[in-house]
Amino acid sequence: MDETVIRIENVVKTYPVGIEVFKALRGVSLEVKKGAFMSIVGPSGSGKTTLLNLIGGLDTPTEGSIFFYDKKLSHMTRKEMSAYRRDNIGFIFQSYNLLPVYTVYENVLFPLLVMGKREGDVRKSVEDMVARVGLAECANKRPNQLSGGQCQRVAIARALVKRPPIALADEPTANLDAENSRQILELMTELNREMKTVFILSTHDERVSKFVTREVKLEDGMISQDNLMDGLK
Amino acid sequence: MIAKLAWIQFLRQGARAWLNVAVTGLTLVTLIFMTSLLNGFQLQASKNLKSTDVGGGHYRLPDFDILSPTEWEDQTFSPPPFLKNLSDTEKAEVLVLQGQLFPNRRLYPVQLRGIDLKQKLLDLPLEPLSRQENGNEYIPVIIGTRMSERSRLQKGDSAVLRWRDRLGVIDARDAKVIEVADFLNPRVDEGVVWLSLDRLRIMTRREGEVSWVTVTHNLGSDKHLEFLEPATLMSDILNLLKQDRRNAKVLWAILLFLAGTSVYNSQILNVFKRQKEIGAMMAFGMESRTIIGLYTLEGTISGFGAIFFAFIFGVPFYYWFQSVGLDISHLSASTMPVRERIFLDFHFSEMLWITLIMLSVVIFSAWRPVQKIARLEPTVALRGKGL
Repeated sequence: MDETVIRIENVVKTYPVGIEVFKALRGVSLEVKKGAFMSIVGPSGSGKTTLLNLIGGLDTPTEGSIFFYDKKLSHMTRKEMSAYRRDNIGFIFQSYNLLPVYTVYENVLFPLLVMGKREGDVRKSVEDMVARVGLAECANKRPNQLSGGQCQRVAIARALVKRPPIALADEPTANLDAENSRQILELMTELNREMKTVFILSTHDERVSKFVTREVKLEDGMISQDNLMDGLK
Repeated sequence: MIAKLAWIQFLRQGARAWLNVAVTGLTLVTLIFMTSLLNGFQLQASKNLKSTDVGGGHYRLPDFDILSPTEWEDQTFSPPPFLKNLSDTEKAEVLVLQGQLFPNRRLYPVQLRGIDLKQKLLDLPLEPLSRQENGNEYIPVIIGTRMSERSRLQKGDSAVLRWRDRLGVIDARDAKVIEVADFLNPRVDEGVVWLSLDRLRIMTRREGEVSWVTVTHNLGSDKHLEFLEPATLMSDILNLLKQDRRNAKVLWAILLFLAGTSVYNSQILNVFKRQKEIGAMMAFGMESRTIIGLYTLEGTISGFGAIFFAFIFGVPFYYWFQSVGLDISHLSASTMPVRERIFLDFHFSEMLWITLIMLSVVIFSAWRPVQKIARLEPTVALRGKGL
């Protein structure tokens, strides 16, 4: 039996919108096991990104609790939350959020430097990861010299270079064409198998369904379906 | 790590960063230029005042006041031996008395200023007086350019000169302007008629008397006389210059404020554009204070870049300026004792202060916006809508 990495209990998240209060999540409960490769699907505004942000410690729930193993995220200080993200979470953003002044190599190196590693000690790992996503030739290029697909690969390499227990990908294929989407999803699947990293993808791209082993559907801030899938054979 | 990242971020910012550096550097060069030019002006003014009037100080009677002409005749004295025995390079004896000039039938109250023509302490264009010292047909006098304009007297013109001697007897004779000289210092020009000390003594029956003795430095106290330091004698001009400095400082502060605002605005814009970057760094687990440190260090590098730019651009510029100076001969109508080229006079402490203030503005401008963003929730920063 795989152990539970993330446990979400009755999470509610509200945002003030003018004088109104918008409920992004309305009592979501979920458990994510080690090695999971799952997606959170649903229409825009259903709460996918909010849920990912809460799991990633970028935001805090209004009500309910989120546990990383036994640690309750809402009990963490701002500094502890930074450490949680630094040591356990790899983010892959829809708009990549690569650091424009850094090269591909430096972007991938960055999270390791944040962890306090010395460049000399991790150079090989970074180069391997850049090669693993097929960008060895572009290591010295800057993001503005890359295509969308290449940028997303850099974002994946950057998220996984520190071998985090959890990788969170927000609409990772939204800006990519079909071929690039397939390549990216295959790459994630491979890395999930190799590293046993939990992958949680938020998406409304139906093509993602055939790659994941679990699909959670969100509607109006609530889980409407939670299906086990075949995943990529 | 932070230093290396800040350096990379600074170097790869592109044109925007270099423009910031150039603007800040140019502002620094301008601020130092303005301050040093004013210093140069003050230096030249003080030098001219000293060489034409003040010297290293005056010995005079305690109640003598140059602004009270009616009392001048009561405040003369015979120099004591310690002054009398000084050489021509160490003293200049001056006698000042009231007189009236009648150029073209107009009455023009004047200051008759007799000076020992052998003196070499003050630098005054009075050489022509020595050549005509023995003539008796008229009183040879020299006036300055400003006096010439006001009295409409030119070289070679004559006018009746009236004065009162020691016994109160009024006498009058023709005075001939044998030279219109450029005195630089308005104080010894406007309303002043220069003549030889010996002649003025004879005219006023004041053999051996002076109003003051200009010396090279304080030679000690005398029970009858008062020594006035150059700073006291120049206090009116120095106060004027001080006021000028205050005005210049206002201008200086405005320039600094504008430069600071420009740097601040570009930093705000810069950081505004980079909010998502900062959000991504937060997502990687970089702590707020590390992010603030990183961007502040980047700003600091930019500040030092500006200092380097100011050095590269400023040194040749200042070097060139010192070879040509600033021609201010058009200020001939001014009341300031400067009417030539002025040069920069650098004060290290001022330059250091200007540089430190500028650097502080740049660092503050880098720190402030990042400090605000780094305190935001990461999701807000990632959306790029924090500011």
